[in-house]
Amino acid sequence: MANKKIEGYPRTVVLKSGEEIELRLLHEGDKAALLKFFQDLPEKDKLFLKEDVQDPNVIQRWIDGMDFETILPVLAWYDGRVVGDATLHMDKLGWSRHVGEIRVVVAADFQHKGLGKAMVKNMVAHAIDFGLDKIIAMVMENQHSARKAFERLGFEKEAVLKGHVRDIQGNKQDLIILANDVSYIWNKMEELVSDFDPRRFY
Amino acid sequence: MAKYEIKIGGLGGQGVILSGIIIGRAAAIYDGKYATMTQSFGPEARGSAASSELVIDTEPVGYPYVVNQNILVVMARGAYKEYGPRLVDGGMLLYEKDLVPIDEEDLKRRKIRYFGIPATAFAEELGRRIVLNIVMMGFFAAVAGVVSPESMEKAVLASVPKGTEKLNLSAFQKGLEYGRNLLDNK
Repeated sequence: MANKKIEGYPRTVVLKSGEEIELRLLHEGDKAALLKFFQDLPEKDKLFLKEDVQDPNVIQRWIDGMDFETILPVLAWYDGRVVGDATLHMDKLGWSRHVGEIRVVVAADFQHKGLGKAMVKNMVAHAIDFGLDKIIAMVMENQHSARKAFERLGFEKEAVLKGHVRDIQGNKQDLIILANDVSYIWNKMEELVSDFDPRRFY
Repeated sequence: MAKYEIKIGGLGGQGVILSGIIIGRAAAIYDGKYATMTQSFGPEARGSAASSELVIDTEPVGYPYVVNQNILVVMARGAYKEYGPRLVDGGMLLYEKDLVPIDEEDLKRRKIRYFGIPATAFAEELGRRIVLNIVMMGFFAAVAGVVSPESMEKAVLASVPKGTEKLNLSAFQKGLEYGRNLLDNK
């Protein structure tokens, strides 16, 4: 179960179109709403998901295994329904423990309204708070708006895996790995604690 | 209020000087006291001995150097060995529990109150070893009674780089909480 205390929720995001969206951490009672959110996604959007999230057992497994130090899940709520899902995936023990991956899915009627960008921004802030150096996101070559949302927040194309995924028509597509190096924030702190040149404090 | 003469000792890279800046800022800017700070550091940025000294008083400070060292904060064994003997009888020692082996018999004989915290381990748990000095500052705020925790928190936030505030605040709270629990159970 969740063992890390995450503060500041629920928090409100106001979209350009005026809707007030509430961001909340996933909790046990959200299973039905989250399942409905995934089931209602257009087929083309379901293609971008790594797991079969229309299967209630998959959602149940997520909830049962909730550990905010490994996966931090944030849901966007509007008018009693889930309209967005963002997760920050972290590997606490492996060789990439300084890297986090952000995944974001937005309901069809809330796309192109800035919700995706707001959720990515929220997850980037969490990644920094967790002390991560680098954040990555994966998009298919034709996910233009998702890619733009990440790029506006400092992500850059770092790698392309050729023909790595198949689209809804069965065609192979390139998978683009976007990365955002946030270690520079901590470089300043490194300088600050180096105990070398006191002049930098003034 | 008693006059506090504080020594902070450790190694380059542990944030010894930043710790002095934070305590000084908390005392002089946010708590309205008088404070002076001096520092000493080796030729290398990392691994060499570093220390800072603070004199804090409600009256103007006439002499900026520590003469009667009544509080010692140490984050490395070498600093304890060097500055420990200069701690006045009845003084206070705050130390990094996993890095500084202390001589309890000597401390008891000299009636020195001593409080340890595994600040490095806590910092690593939070995600960044680099915030160990901020954990230590939270601990200092809880235990030493020199400046208010509120002022220390403000000083931490005013001293750390933009974007790192939240993790540093978590580190401060961790040290503060640990220190308060330690006092409650003492």
